[in-house]
Amino acid sequence: MAVAERAVAGRTAQNYESEYRKDTLLGLKIHLPAQALFLANAVAAVLALALAGGFAFFMGFTRVPAIGIFSQNADAFGRVFTGHGVSALILWPIFFEVAALIFTSTILLGARIWSKKAGWLSFGLMVAGAVLLMVSTLNGSANVGFTAYVPMIASPFFYLGYVLFATGALIAVVNFALTLAQARADGLLKGTLPLLTYGAATAAILATVAIACGLVALVPTLLWTAGVFPSVDPIFYRTWFWGLGHTLQYVNVTAMIVAWYALGALTFKAAPINEKYTRVAFTLYIFFTVPVLGHHFLVDPSLSPAVKIFGGSLMGFGLGIPSLMHGLAILGSIEIAGRKAGATGLFGWLKKVPWKEPGMAALMVSMSLFAIGGWSGTVGTTLQLNMVSHNNMWVASHLHGVVVGGTTLAFMGLSYYLVPLVAGRQLFSRKMAQIQPYLYGVGLFIMMMTMNWAGFLGVPRRTPDISFGGLAPDWNLPMNIMGIGIALAILGGIFYVLNMVLTLRHGKKLA
Amino acid sequence: MSVLASPEYGWWKPFPRHEKIWLWMAVAAAVLLSVITIGWLFIGKQNVPVASYNATPEQFEQQVTAFTTKYQIQGSPGEVRVPPGQDAYLLGQMWSWGPVLHLKVGEPYTIWMSSKDVIHGFSLAGQNFNLTAAPGHAYGVRITPEQPGTYLIFCNEYCGLGHQAMTGKIIVEP
Repeated sequence: MAVAERAVAGRTAQNYESEYRKDTLLGLKIHLPAQALFLANAVAAVLALALAGGFAFFMGFTRVPAIGIFSQNADAFGRVFTGHGVSALILWPIFFEVAALIFTSTILLGARIWSKKAGWLSFGLMVAGAVLLMVSTLNGSANVGFTAYVPMIASPFFYLGYVLFATGALIAVVNFALTLAQARADGLLKGTLPLLTYGAATAAILATVAIACGLVALVPTLLWTAGVFPSVDPIFYRTWFWGLGHTLQYVNVTAMIVAWYALGALTFKAAPINEKYTRVAFTLYIFFTVPVLGHHFLVDPSLSPAVKIFGGSLMGFGLGIPSLMHGLAILGSIEIAGRKAGATGLFGWLKKVPWKEPGMAALMVSMSLFAIGGWSGTVGTTLQLNMVSHNNMWVASHLHGVVVGGTTLAFMGLSYYLVPLVAGRQLFSRKMAQIQPYLYGVGLFIMMMTMNWAGFLGVPRRTPDISFGGLAPDWNLPMNIMGIGIALAILGGIFYVLNMVLTLRHGKKLA
Repeated sequence: MSVLASPEYGWWKPFPRHEKIWLWMAVAAAVLLSVITIGWLFIGKQNVPVASYNATPEQFEQQVTAFTTKYQIQGSPGEVRVPPGQDAYLLGQMWSWGPVLHLKVGEPYTIWMSSKDVIHGFSLAGQNFNLTAAPGHAYGVRITPEQPGTYLIFCNEYCGLGHQAMTGKIIVEP
């Protein structure tokens, strides 16, 4: 068997040697078709993030009552808040995750991609879907929010965009799995997967579940808008939509944790304390994630209290366990690396941490904001407290903490290393990258705290004007202070996008 | 050993002591929260309502109309004085909550709510009290008003261009 495997490996290595280049930063063997696919997806991700930030500007400063750009223009608000949700929650993270799947299955292992054609088909479908989603959002034919709750209705092109994008992502996941199988056949993968690939595989499994649920919700809806189906039950849609929406957030979380481990290793040579502990934690996500979609229905008239408590609350508390395990494992690995660098005393290792390294800054800020967002999410997943916080600014604080402070910032930090590595160009501005995580983090921290405060007062989310014709309580103060946080976060976002674009276009070529 | 490469043979080792303690602390926190959430169903006052029934939007609208005509306040159309002991009905639609309910302080009421068209949210301003109203499903909540005054109902689920103007009122009389 081993002889046969070696024979296969020998043959493939010969046949495909011309498709590789040697990287000078980490000494990795980069498969050129995989490199092209990685860069295409990374560029799409950065563009989607730029769009998300543009929408965030208009949405955010509409929600600040002292500014209120679109507070009297419900149509414009409908477009920007739908666009913000679609681009920030769907397009940006999934394009980035597909890039991460390509990296961890090919470049990291020195392996070649299973199918170039499938890779480009997946990318083409995702881009086509993204364009349909953005065009129907911007031309005002989809003022329904990214959740698009039935029976609110958008143009069929909006749902078609979702379906194409999801299909493309599914093809990328299949390509990832077959690439790993091929790497094993080529003899490039012996024993278990490297931790980063293992985490990415966890994300890929969750993504498959998410996309399957999404197709169950969206295909009938597409047929309904096209006039084929007479109706779609609102509760049926809501349930399956969150099978997509919630599971997808845990694709983001697992991918974020992959980014955390990678950042610890790349910036401080931090190694996991115990491989088993980390891998068990990744695996627990698969078990706990899916039932937790129930926490979106805690105050719905649909499910029984037993189902709500089990799926929404108890599994939600369980889902905190693997996140806490990873938190300890990563901070612990940084402490050990600090002690190896000569730190003494209880907190001496904190002085050894390279705070000026962009990736370390992104890692530490991302972990802190994710912890706060995770905490406010746990509060909201409690049956009784959900009645207090459902659909008000408390929820906005939670999801910005986990998706923006946690996932987005971790992805930004990781791309400061992966994009130069794969593009073969130096980061355009190291200074900008050093400041960016702190700037973005402080902005988000202010946003999250003021959103919690506003949620405590009961300010609803997704509402252009919160005065309700003068009948509303006095709750403008936190929403106004939030504006400072939005301004800082948007500035941090511009720093990132600018740096990435300039790196790809004008970064100094690596030898 | 690094996260970038496969671990060497023999990586399946028992958890280190500190990691094990931390894991048990996390499990204990999850169990504690679970016990509180379930326990509060029995000892707490504030729980998510359990009563609901299926009614098509047309059926529910008929119930609301019948209720509104029966208890309407003379001279104020769309306002209803609910006698103690009588169930009240609220209909959410694009973009209003109605009718205006007049309740008496200290009396227990059951309010049934549903939606005529799309999914709406029921929020009581200043009370931090939020529920979902979905067409086809009627939701019953038992409340006992404690303070007289006018309470604003607003929609917390995005429901279209008039969402920010979707309000209603509950008036609690002494």
